Amino acid sequence: MSSIIKQNNVKVTGRGKQPMLFAHGYGCDQNMWRFITPAFEEQYKIILFDHVGHGGSDASAFDPMKYASLDGYADDVLSICRELDLKDIIFVGHSVSAMIGALAAIREPERFDRLVLIGPSPRYIDDGEYVGGFKQEDIEGLLDFLDSNHLGWSSTMAPVIMGNADRPELGEELTNSFCRTNPDIAKHFARATFLSDNRADLPSVKTKALILQCSQDVIAPEAVGRYMHQNLPGSEFVLMEATGHCPNLSAPEETIAAMKAFLRDPAPIQAAA
Amino acid sequence: MTIDQGSLIETAEELYESAPCGYLSTLPDGTVVRANQTFLTWIGLERQDLIGHKCFQDLLSIGGKIFYDTHFAPLLRMQGFVNEIAFDLICADGRQLPVLANTVQKLDAAGRPMVHRITVFNAADRRKYERELLLARQKAEQATEELKRLNETLEERVAQEVAERLKAEEALRQAQKMEAVGQLTGGIAHDFNNLLTIIVGNIELLQRRLPEGNERLLRAADHAMEATRRAATLTQRLLAFSRRQPLEPKPIDANKLVAGMSELLRRTLGETIVLETVLAGGLWRTQADPNQLENAIVNLAVNARDAMPGGGKLTIETANARLDEAYVEALAEPVPPGQYVLVAVSDTGTGMDKATMERVFEPFFTTKGVGRGTGLGLSQVYGFVRQSNGHIRIYSELGEGTTIKIYLPRLIGSDDEPAEMPAKAPVMVKGSGETILVVEDEPALRAYAVEALRDLGYRVLEAADGRGALSIVERHPEIELLFTDVVLAGGMNGRVLADEVTQRKPGLPVLYTTGYTQNAIVHHGRLDPGMNLISKPFSYADLAAKVRRMLDD
Repeated sequence: MSSIIKQNNVKVTGRGKQPMLFAHGYGCDQNMWRFITPAFEEQYKIILFDHVGHGGSDASAFDPMKYASLDGYADDVLSICRELDLKDIIFVGHSVSAMIGALAAIREPERFDRLVLIGPSPRYIDDGEYVGGFKQEDIEGLLDFLDSNHLGWSSTMAPVIMGNADRPELGEELTNSFCRTNPDIAKHFARATFLSDNRADLPSVKTKALILQCSQDVIAPEAVGRYMHQNLPGSEFVLMEATGHCPNLSAPEETIAAMKAFLRDPAPIQAAA
Repeated sequence: MTIDQGSLIETAEELYESAPCGYLSTLPDGTVVRANQTFLTWIGLERQDLIGHKCFQDLLSIGGKIFYDTHFAPLLRMQGFVNEIAFDLICADGRQLPVLANTVQKLDAAGRPMVHRITVFNAADRRKYERELLLARQKAEQATEELKRLNETLEERVAQEVAERLKAEEALRQAQKMEAVGQLTGGIAHDFNNLLTIIVGNIELLQRRLPEGNERLLRAADHAMEATRRAATLTQRLLAFSRRQPLEPKPIDANKLVAGMSELLRRTLGETIVLETVLAGGLWRTQADPNQLENAIVNLAVNARDAMPGGGKLTIETANARLDEAYVEALAEPVPPGQYVLVAVSDTGTGMDKATMERVFEPFFTTKGVGRGTGLGLSQVYGFVRQSNGHIRIYSELGEGTTIKIYLPRLIGSDDEPAEMPAKAPVMVKGSGETILVVEDEPALRAYAVEALRDLGYRVLEAADGRGALSIVERHPEIELLFTDVVLAGGMNGRVLADEVTQRKPGLPVLYTTGYTQNAIVHHGRLDPGMNLISKPFSYADLAAKVRRMLDD
């Protein structure tokens, strides 16, 4: 198995030819797509993966320098595409991975057919006129919160306090078994995510994109989705009934329907110009 | 009185409302649809203000809100429960209440999320302990880190320690080598001295008895005598190095001594070398053999001169000095800490490298050309200083020059005036028939001494050992002086003999002679106060002067 496949725990399923590459956002891992992928398996080749430090990825591959910005994560997406020789890709990115996919599409536009961006944000922190939804100190608050609370007290605080990080089984009884994440990497990822500013990159995206915007999304408020739409050439914008930040989990049917409508739409990318 | 049994049993509502934890039910989007009294009390909200109006995530700090959307909600949806999440609730009055939340997701008949049951535990105390534990842990980690750092530098520190130890061992080896060389040269010089004494005596006898007018034979005897004197000087220097020369320590004012030498030094140094003396005011007095100190300074000056073939400057300084514990501990040789008088001789000459510096005090080590130096000058100085309980230190930089510092112990509590320099040329003085008892176990030496004293006009009795000497003393009350070797065969040494004799004849002057000695008469190389000694090989004139002075006193 090639190193990138192992490093990012890449899983390939589906019976179709056109690749549909799913990228999870900040918080969980490829399990996020469990309610979505079944709807596309018949028609597409489904590629799932975990970002380094998340899920079943190889945490030892984590390089703080490389992953200090979203570009490092976009590198990995492109490496997966090259390794699997993917072309004509439908990239489905949730949360921060929406921007990661956009960055990858800017660098190798010929690989990408369409982008499905679920709850995207080019910048989380307010900046003058721009409303990102957060203030700088809010992000510090999140990082503090993560210190004491990654995925449950027993798996986070107990090892830290007791110094038994090498015996994680001691804290596993009561905690949450999905979305296993290395706490240090998660914090690093949180910083890379919430301190990112990719607004200037948006006009460079030449791939046709769908923006799926939830109602009452604290992480990516509606104003952010609309900003994306205005600055992403030729993008489509769908305001969903689903609330929160994870329609792929809370409203899979609505998400699937919106995606299918977008994928049937034959509008050419030239509209963007 | 009858009791309504039903009222004794808690109702489910009581259990729910007053449970020691908060109970919340929310819709899948977080909207609170039910809450118990405990939770309402904690959060400080009226029921009607909460139910249907607020989401659970609205009650959280900003970090909790983000976590709710990015982790909590997805997890709950995927695994059906989420346990032990440490949120901070923002209460109505703005306080933050640390809680732990466990949540279960209830599904409807179609398998769709219907309601979340959230159990909230007050974790205020627990969070406090956590912080303390974390702090303790950080401290422990710092300590571990420090230990690790110490361990990592262990090798380096060991190497440093070993290097220092090696240096100390090297210094010790050097000191031991000097000691061994001293033993060897001292032993040779001692035996050689005895032989020289015999040679000197017999040459003198020849000189006196050779027929007048036989110039050739007389000249030959003179040459032999001259060579013998040079050999005697050589052995004297060897003895000095081996710290076995008999010293006559006296209170010294080093300033006066140095000042008195300036004429001699100027002549020694020649015109190309400028002599400068820097004499400290209030200089302490020291105690040493003034002749030997003078010798030492001349030796150093000669070396300095040779190091400045193109001319230069020689500086002699005196100063009060203190050698502290730290300084003396670093020395290989034992030097007691305390107050010292410093005499330093500095030149602006060629200097020397480290290898030379290490060997410079060894006898016969010389950097001078063949025939130019004996290699004994500095070793003699070294021996003298060490024997005087002093310390010598050499500082040198190649191309810069050399400073040699002599530290002699401060003399405290002596009212004696500093010794005047003894007269350089002893006056030849004859005897007038006084009776002298000569005790010497070496027959040739005894014969020389007896012959010399008789020649000088004394009446001489002789004995080969202590016993014989005592019996002579019994029979000859006219004896006016005892002249004895310190080391005698037959079990009684010169010191014991002298004690025995002076018991019988109190006040009888005793003159000792010796090559070298570490025994009764010389304590650590010094004469006991009031004792007289003439070193072998002694000349006719030396003996004449010494004996005459003692008889006259």
